[in-house]
Amino acid sequence: MSSVTRNRLVAGDSTTSVLVARGVLAASALAFFASWLVLFQWVDETALVAGVHVLKLLGVALVAAGVGLTVVGVGSRLEYFESTPSSSAGLPVGFVFGLLWAVLGGLVATRLLGNALAMWLPVAAGFGIVGLLVSVLPREDVGSTLPVAAILVLLGGYVVVGGINAGWTWSPSWSSAVFPGSELVPLLVVFGALLSAWSAAKAREGFGAEGRQSGAYYLVGSVVFAMLGVLALLVAFIVKNGLETMLTRTSLTGGHLTLPFVGSVPWAEFPFLMNQTGGLFVEVPGVLPAVMGTLWLVFGAVLFAVPLGIGAAVFLTEYAERGRFTQVVEVATNGLWSTPSIVFGLFGLAFLVPRISGGNSIFVGQLVLGFMLLPLVLITSREAILAVPDEHRDASAALGVTKWETIRSVVLPAAMPGTITGVILGVGRIAGETAPLLLVFGGSPYPSSYPNVLGSFQFSTQPPFVTNDALLSPASALPYQLYSTITAGVFPKEIFTNTEFGWGTALVLLCVVLGLYAIGVGSRLYFRRKLHHE
Amino acid sequence: MSNTEAVHEPSEPAQQLTTTGESDERVREEWTEYDFAGDAKLAVEDLDVYYGDEQALQSISLDVPEESVTALIGPSGCGKSTFLRCLNRMNDRVKSARIDGSVQLDDEEIYTDGVNLVELRKRIGMVFQEPNPFPKSIRDNISYGPRKHGDLDTGLLARVLGRDDREQEADLVERALRRAALWDEVEDRLDDNALGLSGGQQQRLCIARALAVDPDVILMDEPASALDPIATAKIEDLIEELAEDYTVVVVTHNMQQAARISDQTAVFLTGGELVEYGDTDQIFENPESQRVEDYITGKFG
Ligand SMILES: Nc1ncnc2c1ncn2[C@@H]1O[C@H](COP(=O)(O)OP(=O)(O)OP(=O)(O)O)[C@@H](O)[C@H]1O
Ligand SMILES: [Mg+2]
Repeated sequence: MSSVTRNRLVAGDSTTSVLVARGVLAASALAFFASWLVLFQWVDETALVAGVHVLKLLGVALVAAGVGLTVVGVGSRLEYFESTPSSSAGLPVGFVFGLLWAVLGGLVATRLLGNALAMWLPVAAGFGIVGLLVSVLPREDVGSTLPVAAILVLLGGYVVVGGINAGWTWSPSWSSAVFPGSELVPLLVVFGALLSAWSAAKAREGFGAEGRQSGAYYLVGSVVFAMLGVLALLVAFIVKNGLETMLTRTSLTGGHLTLPFVGSVPWAEFPFLMNQTGGLFVEVPGVLPAVMGTLWLVFGAVLFAVPLGIGAAVFLTEYAERGRFTQVVEVATNGLWSTPSIVFGLFGLAFLVPRISGGNSIFVGQLVLGFMLLPLVLITSREAILAVPDEHRDASAALGVTKWETIRSVVLPAAMPGTITGVILGVGRIAGETAPLLLVFGGSPYPSSYPNVLGSFQFSTQPPFVTNDALLSPASALPYQLYSTITAGVFPKEIFTNTEFGWGTALVLLCVVLGLYAIGVGSRLYFRRKLHHE
Repeated sequence: MSNTEAVHEPSEPAQQLTTTGESDERVREEWTEYDFAGDAKLAVEDLDVYYGDEQALQSISLDVPEESVTALIGPSGCGKSTFLRCLNRMNDRVKSARIDGSVQLDDEEIYTDGVNLVELRKRIGMVFQEPNPFPKSIRDNISYGPRKHGDLDTGLLARVLGRDDREQEADLVERALRRAALWDEVEDRLDDNALGLSGGQQQRLCIARALAVDPDVILMDEPASALDPIATAKIEDLIEELAEDYTVVVVTHNMQQAARISDQTAVFLTGGELVEYGDTDQIFENPESQRVEDYITGKFG
């Protein structure tokens, strides 16, 4: 939270209200994090803290926050505290509060009237209207604190008096869902804490324009926090499950590396990363074939799609007259980008496979993924090229430079960061693509060798002059490996179960995709640097 | 084109009268013939420009003498930039623009089919009203034109083959920047991005960039509008110096500047008409046209 210090024009007692508001913020934050601990079962919901049940403590925190808000709001209304409230909290806030009150009213009515279906509706509506009026009609300091405080005190109080406890469950008659108190209470507290923090953030800055700004910052901040939280949770979960598999029998000096002249030197050993998946002599099955497969797929798809996509974008923006034709192409590319990947796979299976390799192969996989990548590269480079100011083109033309040279030396470099952004997004999508690979690419789920593409080029003096058997054979890729492992019956080696191997593969896939991202972001930064003064 | 058949032939006013009606009566009366010694570098005749249905220039005819400075002055929106852009056919790039009439460069018509625009613009350089450096290093901005024209070869291949023109490039960059009075300020940051320069520095960079191509004619659209008095003075010196080898056409809003640097001045007035064209001294001291006098003395904008 920001600690803004500024000189007020009118000196008055604002310190008390700021202190109370800070207290409310602190209580909300504590209750918020404590609830997550309970939700994740890191703290048992029946645990006692300082002799009190955890859930009751959460209830107390809510009540305290509610009381604090009331003090600030009413104190400000009675001019006891210095503040600068507007005349009303505003309709949007009113509607949100009205809705909350309506939900609350509905719940209360269902509880008290025992699920009598028809009766909760008027009660909820009545609560909603009261909530709306209470927030809109009074001055802002009351309107944006009291409705929140009422909800908090009601909820918290109900928990404190034991209305809901750990063993309590609620199973609405109209649904098969069951809400146990051990989850319901922390969820309600999370929600209440968010609300009270917003109100307190407003109160801390004395309402009015600054208060609203503070409230808005708080909302934006909590959204960002939530997003990062979800992301961190996801990554942490995969790492937690996959790390052990990935590090199986790892040692920093256990392996050997044979160098010319020096002989064998100790070398780090990562069996899971460096081993083949199947084969008689493999002790720890690894994902090397799948990693190589994924990298070859991405490499081929990028090699295929990027030049084509950029070329088409240049044609559409710089050469073709804007009209019916370019519009049709635009609509078609947008449509192509949203086409489900399995459809691309089916196309590859029916059209490319019989013509190119006669069976699943890396090459067809590259082409199919390239087709999928193409529209995104085209769309993003077209946008990027359109965003290059015409002044650059004019300046170049006025120097007597041809159109093509101008495109090559001025327009494309300026459009490069945008294009790379598109490639990064697209690579993220195709690197994890599974469905088309099942149809056109995948071979044995436990390959005992990785695709040796570089070593398989064969040249001849007769057409087609160059062939590559490895490219025309099926292989394994990380998402494909993951899918076939977890859907298979038993894992061929004792050392892992299917699930363990699957989690390990998932972690490696995550790392590979993030690595590709890093490369992309790095190159984008490089081009940005060149374009802007930094 | 010889001097005698320069711009204002007797038939000219009559033609204007028929095309544009009443207000041109006065123009004809005020009209004066400008006669100069030497050859016409650019000869413009009956130039009409339309943007959509709007007419931006009305039957402009004037000759620009070789190796001199010609100033274009007039109120905002009267078509000075439009006129300038017609001289190197940059107006072709404006979709809505339609251009009628004739412009000759060294007696060669530039508004015919088969004109090589690349070659034309190499010979007629341009500095735009808004500075528009490329998002490249200062050095690359300057050497861009020569490099694209094949006068400089600094690529990888050239380096491998031992035909690297790096020294020549450095030389050219320094000369261009010195002429544009920018060298001292950017000497030790040639590899920095040009967008990091101030507005005035960017404008001088654009002048240097145009000079690096070594054109015959240089068109400048308010080259000093974003500059402080010192830099302006440098640019004015540069323009006067350039006039020894080049033909310079410069648009300016600053009348003292026009009076200081130009040999002849063309006054455009609102509606896209050329009201008077002649020796700068004569235009500023003793204009034939009442409207020009009003404009110059500030009574009319
Ligand atoms: N690209 C364009 N499309 C349509 N109309 C244009 C375009 N460029 C200029 N015009 C119009 O042509 C007229 C002359 O414009 P021009 O830019 O030549 O004026 P100017 O004399 O250079 O003015 P200033 O001194 O403000 O730069 C103006 O009325 C302007 O609105
Ligand atoms: Mg202009």
